Amino acid sequence: MDHTIICRCEEVTLEDINNTAEKYGCSARELKLRTRAGMGYCGGRTCRPAVDAVVQEATGEEPGNNLPLKVQPPVRPTSLATLGGQHQS
Amino acid sequence: MNQNRIIDHPVLGHLENKTPVTFTFDGKTYEGYEGDTVASALLANGIRQLRVHEESGSTRGIYCNIGHCFECRMTIDQTPGVRACLTELTPEMVVESGKVQPTPFSQPEDMPQTYADFTEKHTDNKEGDPNA
Repeated sequence: MDHTIICRCEEVTLEDINNTAEKYGCSARELKLRTRAGMGYCGGRTCRPAVDAVVQEATGEEPGNNLPLKVQPPVRPTSLATLGGQHQS
Repeated sequence: MNQNRIIDHPVLGHLENKTPVTFTFDGKTYEGYEGDTVASALLANGIRQLRVHEESGSTRGIYCNIGHCFECRMTIDQTPGVRACLTELTPEMVVESGKVQPTPFSQPEDMPQTYADFTEKHTDNKEGDPNA
């Protein structure tokens, strides 16, 4: 169960999150920055609810958007080439 | 190869009426049908591993299959990071799986977490010290 992958992009397991929370006694945001859960290629749009739930359990912090683990725009990951005006079919 | 496909589908029709197209995956030639996505064509050919995790090398395949999770990203016609589940197969398409990337830096556990850690680790190292 502990080896369940929470964030697939950065390959963060439930064990990693629980260990980090225990070791550093950190806030939800710090926990995310230390483990990189939800910070991978997909932008946390796949694992966000799972990360929120696990982090809440580990730190006791309510998930919210005031000091956020927030999802950032754009709506989908975009390459710098596209932003720079290169045509992508 | 057709054993992984639905031969006769009430909506999609008969498989026999589809136009076959060939494409290459990691240098080997495979056959799919027009209208396939890259992911579905590979799945029909029995290939479930589309890439490996860039750092750990653990295997990855189709996960959400709706273009949401980017787990099926591959290099298609020299463009990296293309989602196989959303990309329609075209004739002579060149598909490459995701590989492990080099990790030139040491593991985070070896790295100093604070400046105090850093000075402790590098007490003997006087390189760049103006007083040395």
